[in-house]
Amino acid sequence: MDNGQLEPMRVFILAGGFATRLWPLTEQRAKPLLPLAGQPLLSYVLAQIPAELSVTVSTNAVFAQDFKKWRKGIGRRNVEIIIEDTGHEDEKLGALGAVAQWLSAEKIDEDLLLLAGDNFVGCSMDTFLRLHRDRPLLAVHDIGDLELAKQFGTVVTEEGTDPLRTVTSFEEKPLHPKSTFVSTGWWFLPKSSLPVLKEYAQLHPDNVGGIFEEFLRQSIPVDCFIFREIWKDIGSFESYLSLHREIVDGRVIIDGSSAIGKDVTLRGSIDIGPGVRLGESTLIDCIVFGKTTILDCVLERCIVDEGCVLEGVDLTDKMLRAGTVLRNKTSL
Amino acid sequence: MRRVILLVCWLLTDAVLFIGAYVAAYFLRVGFILSTDFPLSPYLQTVLFVMPLWLAAMMQLGIFRLTRIQSEQRNIAHILFACILGLALFTLAYYFLHDKFFSRLLLIYAGGLSFALTMVWHLAFDQWQRQVLRRLPAAYPLLVIGTNREAERFIRLLEERRSPFRPIAVLDSQGSPLKDIAGVPVLGKLNKLEEVIRSKKPTHLVQCADLEHTINLMSVCRQHGMTYLLLPSVLGAIVGSSERIEGRSVILVKDKG
Repeated sequence: MDNGQLEPMRVFILAGGFATRLWPLTEQRAKPLLPLAGQPLLSYVLAQIPAELSVTVSTNAVFAQDFKKWRKGIGRRNVEIIIEDTGHEDEKLGALGAVAQWLSAEKIDEDLLLLAGDNFVGCSMDTFLRLHRDRPLLAVHDIGDLELAKQFGTVVTEEGTDPLRTVTSFEEKPLHPKSTFVSTGWWFLPKSSLPVLKEYAQLHPDNVGGIFEEFLRQSIPVDCFIFREIWKDIGSFESYLSLHREIVDGRVIIDGSSAIGKDVTLRGSIDIGPGVRLGESTLIDCIVFGKTTILDCVLERCIVDEGCVLEGVDLTDKMLRAGTVLRNKTSL
Repeated sequence: MRRVILLVCWLLTDAVLFIGAYVAAYFLRVGFILSTDFPLSPYLQTVLFVMPLWLAAMMQLGIFRLTRIQSEQRNIAHILFACILGLALFTLAYYFLHDKFFSRLLLIYAGGLSFALTMVWHLAFDQWQRQVLRRLPAAYPLLVIGTNREAERFIRLLEERRSPFRPIAVLDSQGSPLKDIAGVPVLGKLNKLEEVIRSKKPTHLVQCADLEHTINLMSVCRQHGMTYLLLPSVLGAIVGSSERIEGRSVILVKDKG
């Protein structure tokens, strides 16, 4: 990897989840397609992938059309969408199961870069890819809190200061984490490791992190790349809003087709999508997806889905589902 | 349709019962003869005139609400009030229509009989209509949100009391390992809400947990023409009711601890 040229490699983005924790925002929209400063989260993931690499995005049947629409608008040719034939969370093939099925169906015999479509990783993917040796590699972030680490795959590494270290143990969502280093949804798997993945996926189709436990169990050395830049797993209202604040960074982003009337105060990080009518209101750190009317409201840390009508209401820390109509007639 | 038929049946039988009570009072007071001093015809005419007003008062008091428990103290008080009102209206109407007063004992008989017969009939009707309303497909299918202990207690209560509200499914925002609660299937997380509403067609939704989703659950109910219900425990209260202050709706909580 030292001549600057990438080795042949396939990229597989996992985007088949149903994101139940982000209900109701994910009622009609896949998590990787949630807007972030005017564009879907998945577009940020894609933008980091070197242009010469072929990308496969795996999703489920429910959101298939949305992904196809997104695919048309990205202006990159080597991206394909594959659809898991699942209409429900309980019918899910499992993330690892989907990968294994694709590897077998496409007879993939190349290195694999596996990415989570709902993670925002701020570090350079070029750096990550440059560092890999012929062994599994995962991108790791220090979350700084053992309690938070319980929700993720945690990594214990050899002592050192080098960003590239050897992993000594990996535990998926441990009850008692030994480290605050967590796996972040970027995984490099050399082609030599793919048979292990396929075999492991048969028994644990939904445990992506578990494959690293399996590598270590089979004494296959695993590397990790520790980065300090921003990382967010968009798993909850709080993490989504927090990432929004990081990315928008105090700016006000308003789509050109939206109309902002008089007496409107916009503070903090604001992202207003297309077709929004806003008047006599105060918005603080809010995301408004689009096609919504907001009149005489005070909204603080709210995420408003499409097609809402809000009049005369004050809301804080709320996600509003598409089509919500709240008219406080007593205030008008 | 079942609800409309039941309501029509109830109104008709109550009308007959009101007339019957007053006719029985007449014969109890006058004797089982057709008196010429106090003829039945103008008396009956007045009863027929007052009967719709009495039914309207009962309706206004919510006594004919199919989901109301007829043996509840509040309901008994409402029926008593309606019967006293009916009696007062009858007295006034008789005076206005025929320009005279009559036996006070007859009024006591009429009032007592109308209350007693109405009460007994309503208690019997309540038992019968519960069976009819619960028959599948239930007239009031209820979707339960939450799998906590409050949800379980509420489901069990509805089942034990043979309530017209029949729980048909449970959803939970966090997901639950339970397959069912008291025989009611737990169908998954809230992302299945639309699908469950489409397939099970609930008329009511009761929120027993997940306070953060209140606004969205109300939005779902509004969109699907369902009635939204909230257990006070979601707000951390034990007993709550809806009130109005200066025309504004408020939730009233008056826990005695």
